[in-house]
Parts: sequence; C-alpha cells; structure tokens
Amino acid sequence: MSLDLGAKKASAIRPGPATRKMAVKPPETLLQKAVVILSRYREASIAVVALALVVYFQIGSGGQFLTSQFMSVVLRETGRLGLIAVAEVMLMITGEIDLSVSGTFSLAPYIMTLMSVGWGVPLALGAAVGVALGVLIGFVNGIITVRFRVPSLITTVGSLFFLQGIVVSIYNSQPIIAPVQEPFNAIFGESLYDPSDPFLSWHTVTAFTPFLWTVLIVATMALILNRTTFGLHTISTGSNIIGAREIGVRTDRIKIYNFMIAGGFAAFAGIVNTAQFASADPQAGSPFLTLQAIAAAVIGGTSLLGGSGTVIGALIGAFMVATLNNGLVMVGAQATVSDIYLGAAIVTAMILNVQVDRLRTRRRK
Amino acid sequence: MIGDTIPPLHPDAPVILEMSHISKSFGAVTALVDVSIKLRQGEVLALVGDNGAGKSTLIKILSGFHQPDAGTIASKGKEVRFASPREARAQGIETVYQDLALVGDLSIYHNMFLGREYHKRFLGLKLLDNKKMRRLAETYLDTLGISIPNVNSTVDLLSGGQRQCIAVARSIYSSPTILVLDEPLAALGVRESAHVLGLIQNLRQQREVSVILIVHNYNQIFEVCDRINFLHSGEIVLDASTAETSEEELIRIVKSGLGRKAIADAAPEAVISLA
Repeated sequence: MSLDLGAKKASAIRPGPATRKMAVKPPETLLQKAVVILSRYREASIAVVALALVVYFQIGSGGQFLTSQFMSVVLRETGRLGLIAVAEVMLMITGEIDLSVSGTFSLAPYIMTLMSVGWGVPLALGAAVGVALGVLIGFVNGIITVRFRVPSLITTVGSLFFLQGIVVSIYNSQPIIAPVQEPFNAIFGESLYDPSDPFLSWHTVTAFTPFLWTVLIVATMALILNRTTFGLHTISTGSNIIGAREIGVRTDRIKIYNFMIAGGFAAFAGIVNTAQFASADPQAGSPFLTLQAIAAAVIGGTSLLGGSGTVIGALIGAFMVATLNNGLVMVGAQATVSDIYLGAAIVTAMILNVQVDRLRTRRRK
Repeated sequence: MIGDTIPPLHPDAPVILEMSHISKSFGAVTALVDVSIKLRQGEVLALVGDNGAGKSTLIKILSGFHQPDAGTIASKGKEVRFASPREARAQGIETVYQDLALVGDLSIYHNMFLGREYHKRFLGLKLLDNKKMRRLAETYLDTLGISIPNVNSTVDLLSGGQRQCIAVARSIYSSPTILVLDEPLAALGVRESAHVLGLIQNLRQQREVSVILIVHNYNQIFEVCDRINFLHSGEIVLDASTAETSEEELIRIVKSGLGRKAIADAAPEAVISLA
C-alpha cells in the first residue's frame, strides 16, 4: 500500500481511482430523461395536469369555466385549501402531519367574532388574537409530539376533537354573524367578481384577495423553504433526523416551529373564510377540509415520507382539488362524483411520487 | 509503509483532552465503567473493542450526544461539559458518526455547510448564500483530492466511499482541535479505505488536529495510529503506543478480552518475548 504521501505537500492527496468514478449515469432513454425532469420539476408535471383539467372543463362547460366570475369562486377555494396545504407540506417535510387544522380553522374566527360582538373589539385586533391562538395551538401540538413522543397523527386527532368540542360548546353550536366592515372586507373577505364589475378598478384586485393572500404566503414559504437555514433544517429533519441532530440541527425546535406555522395558517385561513361569509360558523372547518388540503399537498408532489416537498406544488394541487370540486358540476356531473375523481387523483399522484423517487435512486451507482 | 515517513509524536506534545473516570448506564445496561482516556496534540488514537464494548457510547459522550453519569471531561486543561452536540462543536470537537449524518435529500454543498451555513442579506432577509457555499465546497473538496461529479447532486446519489469522504471533509473543514471518526472504513473497499486513510495520515503529518479513530482492521491501526486504547466490557484494558506493540500482541489481547497485565500474569513468557 503506497500512497506516497510523505513527499507531497500536506494538502495535496492524490485522488483514489474509486472516487473518480462518476456517480450518476447520464440519462439515456426518453423515459429516463422524463424521470429526471419529473423528479427535478415536480411542479411542472402537476401544472400540466392542472392545465389539461382546465381545458377539459372549459370545453365541457361551453366556455363557462374560464369566466372571471367562476374563477373567483374556484380561486377562493384554492386560496383556502392552498393555505392549509402549504402548512401541511412544511410539516410533512419534517415527517409530521397536523389533522387538527380544521379545528383551529373554526375556533380562531369564532373567537374573533365573539370578541367583536361581545366586547366591541375591532376585527383586526380579534384577527391577530385568533392567529396568535392558532400559533399557540400549533405550539401545544408540537410540544406534545416532540417532548412526549406521541406520533403527530395521534396528537392532532386528539386536538382536533378537543378544539371542535370547544368551539361548538362556546355558544351552543350557533353561527354568529360577523360585523365585517370595510376595509377589513376588502382586505380579507371580498371574493366575488361580477361580469358587470368594471375591469380597471380596485375591485378587480380585491375580488381575489383570499387567493392573493395565499399566493403571497406560498411565495414567502417557497423562499423560506429553499433559501433559508430554516428551510434547509426543515428538510434535514425529515430526511435524516438522527443525522441532522448529530450535526447540530435543532430538530425538535424545527418541528415545533412548523407546527406553529400550521396553526397560524389554519387560523388565518379560517378568518379569511369568515370574512367572506360574514359569519363565524363553528362547523366551518370539517375534517374533510384538512383531508382535502393533504390531498392537495400530495397531488402537488409532496410525499408523506418526509424530506422533500414543494409548496408551489401544493398551491397547484389546491387549484386542482378546487377545480374538481367546482368544475365537475359545471360539466353536468353530480356534485358527489367529484370525490371519486379526487380519490383517484390522490392515489395516482402518490403512486407517481413513489415511483419517480424509486427510479431516481435506482439510477445511482 | 506510509507510517515510516511520519516521525513519532513528540513526547512533550501537550495533552489537549482528558476524559476521566467516565461511567454511563442506559437503564439496566452498563455501557462504561470508570473509563479514562488521554489525547495529546496531533495524536491519532485508535479506540478498539468488540461490538458493545462501549466505544460508540464513549465518543457520543465526547461529542455531546450523551451526558456521562459520572466523570469529567477536560479540554486543554479546563473542565468542560457538553449538553448538546452543538456545544461540543463550539469547543472544536468534530465527530463523524457511523451513519455519517449526511442528509440524502440535500445537495453535497448544503451537507458540507449544514449547521454552519453562510448567509447573505437580501432586502433585509437573511438568505442562504448558495453561490458561496457551492464555490467553497468545490474548491475545498478539490484540495483534498476528493472527486465527486457535481456538488449540486444530492448525497443519496453518491457511493459509500464518496459519502465517507464528504463526511470526513466536512469535519476537517471547520478546523477542529479534535476529530472523532467512528468506523470511517467500515463499509469501504480497499481503494476507498486507502483514500480515507490518506486524509487521516495527512492530518497526522501536520500534527495540529488530534484524531480519535474507531477501527477494526489492525493493519489500518498500525498504519495510521500513534496509540491504541482497547475497550472491553466498558473498561479500558490496554493503553499502548503502536510503536511498542505488535499486531500479534494486540490480536492476542483482543481475543482474550483481557489486559496486557492479565495476560502477563497468565503467560509471562509471552510478554517477555515481546519486550
């Protein structure tokens, strides 16, 4: 064994032939190329599917789908689902999940409205309290999951029932009319666009506020996930939790922060929802909402296994779910049919996710 | 042999790490009993022992992953206490674990700088300086002679040897005072091992970084290490320099699981023949 080290300068070791070998074979067939592109730009593939859906509904509905009025309905739902889906993506990347978001979604605006109606607290202040409450709920979920080592699936099912129980028992399960005024309405709630509305007006923007908020938040979260230390550590936590801990990543904190983000986003989504309907309904968030948001995250290309995910994909996924929810009715299907398509879409997306991952790692030498 | 070209450690080299009377149990399982080790500046120390002898526990205490039940750690003569791996790293103790602690879903350069990322300000936001990290990783891996296809590729696409090299390079990068390597050669082929051994030999020649090396192959111990500590059932039963120990003696001691003294008591002529 001779490495001939003594003669050389200390910092110049000759590379061994073993490490010279290329680790990644260049893609050869069309399928392999497709896999490479798919694994690198998952958002692109889901965007193509979403676009195909839009085209299908546009033709099927005789041009009714892509109208500003209908779009404001679809985008409102996209906004609501997308916000929760993004929160779930962050948690799913760390390897956790939050099923209690629908409880927070109902509770936060309910508290906001009660404070406004009962004590005359301005809605904006009530909204801040509501979001803070959501963050606190997330913190508790995180602590229970991380410190007491209860799987988040169980923790958050528990807090789901707990929160739902609280919100219906506060005021006998009664919806309360929320005194939504301007500019609160324009900033958070306004969501319907009428064909008779003037195009070049402030209303053209405010008609889409719920969606625009979500776009803003998704862009921020994409930046945080891909360009900050927090994002890097979030991915590390889900990808290799022991290794990340050994290298000094505070995995417990990372998880708790992401639970707090999820709680805050759920509360915010609930407040936006209440502003839209000018009513705080204790049943506004059903567990079905959470499941649809998780579906959106999965369709968008986030795996439940942790370590990878895309928030932009989640937004596109939310758009697909909202499109299926609303579009099928437009083409004359029964409202209930949309669930069949949604179910098929989730399973297909998950199969694709797993297969793309497998093909990607199989290429390694 | 490479070892011939490297002069022995200077006898006056200062002791930079002293772990004294360390004990640790996990519930009913006793992992370490009153273990003491000393490490001098620039020394390469081999930690040998069977599976379950307590090697990993000992280094996990040193790296702040576990806390000892009893005993003290002194770094450069000052008593230290590590509540977390972060604190140990802050004191210049870098550890490469058996699992390498690499994040498969992240790129090579992100792994290189995980936990000590470079940042830049953008519109008042503290964002990752990916360009800088990429450039630094490329040049640094290049100077170490570690050749990888592309620092952008994710770690799960690398071979075992490449991963090991990245993990070792990452720990050397922060210019630690003590580098702990937990079985760095376990999963490697001959050529890949030679490369990692080269990295260690390189450090040994400069005599700046002290290395604790857990390794099972005796050839490799005698090739790159200055001293051997043999752990058996949670106790140190042998502490000898490689210069005054032979491979046969080490094998005999490891096989019997007893210390040098115990062997001498049982078969005096064996030790005499060595002396």
